[in-house]
Amino acid sequence: MVDFLIGLFLASLIVALFTTRLFRLLLWYSMNSLMLGILALSIGNSIDDKAMIITGIMTIVIKAIGIPFVLKNLSQKFHFVRQIIPEIKVQYAIMLVPAILVFTFYLSEPITHMIHTNANYVAISISSLFLSLLLMMEHKNVAPKIVGFLSMENALFLLGITATNGMPMLVELGIFFDLLMAIVVINLLFHKEELKV
Amino acid sequence: MIIYLLSIFMLVLIAPLLLSYIKAMKMVLLFKRPVSILQGYRDFSKLMHKETILSEETSAITIYAPFLVLSPLIIVMFFLPPLVQGSYYVSFVDAFTITGLISLSTFFLMLLGLDSASAFGGMGSSREAFISALVEPAMILTIFSVSLMAGNLGVGQAGVNLAEHFPKEHMASFLFAGISFFILLVAENGRIPIDNPETHLELTMVHEAMTLDLTGIYLAIIEAAASIKFVIFASLFASLFMPFGLEFSALVAFLIFIVKLFFIASIVALLEVNTAKLRLFKIPNLLGLAIVFAFLSLITFYVLGA
Repeated sequence: MVDFLIGLFLASLIVALFTTRLFRLLLWYSMNSLMLGILALSIGNSIDDKAMIITGIMTIVIKAIGIPFVLKNLSQKFHFVRQIIPEIKVQYAIMLVPAILVFTFYLSEPITHMIHTNANYVAISISSLFLSLLLMMEHKNVAPKIVGFLSMENALFLLGITATNGMPMLVELGIFFDLLMAIVVINLLFHKEELKV
Repeated sequence: MIIYLLSIFMLVLIAPLLLSYIKAMKMVLLFKRPVSILQGYRDFSKLMHKETILSEETSAITIYAPFLVLSPLIIVMFFLPPLVQGSYYVSFVDAFTITGLISLSTFFLMLLGLDSASAFGGMGSSREAFISALVEPAMILTIFSVSLMAGNLGVGQAGVNLAEHFPKEHMASFLFAGISFFILLVAENGRIPIDNPETHLELTMVHEAMTLDLTGIYLAIIEAAASIKFVIFASLFASLFMPFGLEFSALVAFLIFIVKLFFIASIVALLEVNTAKLRLFKIPNLLGLAIVFAFLSLITFYVLGA
């Protein structure tokens, strides 16, 4: 079950790399976060960790529903360009994505000796970190860069819940607070972007 | 042996029903009055009675090609994984054979399009060549990665192995292979994001452009081949990616399989209603995604074992 959810997490991230529409990108980000939330819920349920279940519910509410909704409203309010063509051509992205994955799978091999349970989840988390970096790199507009930033946070969260069976509750709440602050800052950026145009 | 032959016969018989079901379901979703789901059989019998007219420019290829389009697909039907436990099946046929036979059928379809000597036929053939060249590598990779997970390169044996022992530990790569194969199912059968099977507009058609000049019995054969192709892909999807329900008695297992086929058809219909057709030069993006997922499924299986 955990493998299946991690597969869906990575799949939604890869599909997000190839989308050319902003709202579709937000949908895939929301799917990505939803899978992460369900993953946190199922892992929390299996190791009987109340804090992890709370984090899972918060992930679904804030990241899967709240942030995409706010971003959609903001981009409608400020009339953003909704057609986002990746700067990296699809032909190169097709070669680049598997190359990144193979590279990170071998890159994380030394780490996997230290972690005894589910070593390959570390590899998938690090590769999704790189893929979100690629998502930030391949767009020029502000909105997809923000989605890339947010999915980078998702990848770190995945690393946290799979490799170490959950960070302390306080740290996770702090991260959520950071995210909300980031959204406020992004709002200011959007204002500035509108002034420029 | 008798179950084997009977199940192939039933699958061929059910083939036009599935395509009519997709059409009817789309019309229901668009709030139109649906066509009867028996429309496929009616069209077939109508075309069988109609007069067959050949264009003056055509050569002998037009007379032979429709049969050569249909026959490789009929051969592939014999190589599919078994629908019922204990039934006879061909175990040694691998991904290359199945993909090769399907592309042989596509090759004769392209020849048929060129042979009509109309501008549309050549255009349709070149588009079909463009799409099928992108489909084949992804299809071979996908079926190979599923076969590796099942522990046997033969497609029929892989289906049986998956039904007996589902690879729970390889769930992630199984999922990637499933996504890739579904994109291929849509692409190879000319459903909406790739090709619209209902229009006769010159800019949008791929499959229809090649069969535009055909009439009567030849058109009936080509339409039967199109529906059999859909059944092949749908039943490969059903037995490789939804491998359950084989352990019941023969009749129940067969009914479960039919339900799975209709489930796949419903998903295709939902997808068709909800998406717009892609521009021709955007198609490599979608099929590139299929190749990425197929490759990803292989490397997650090899490197991570997940």
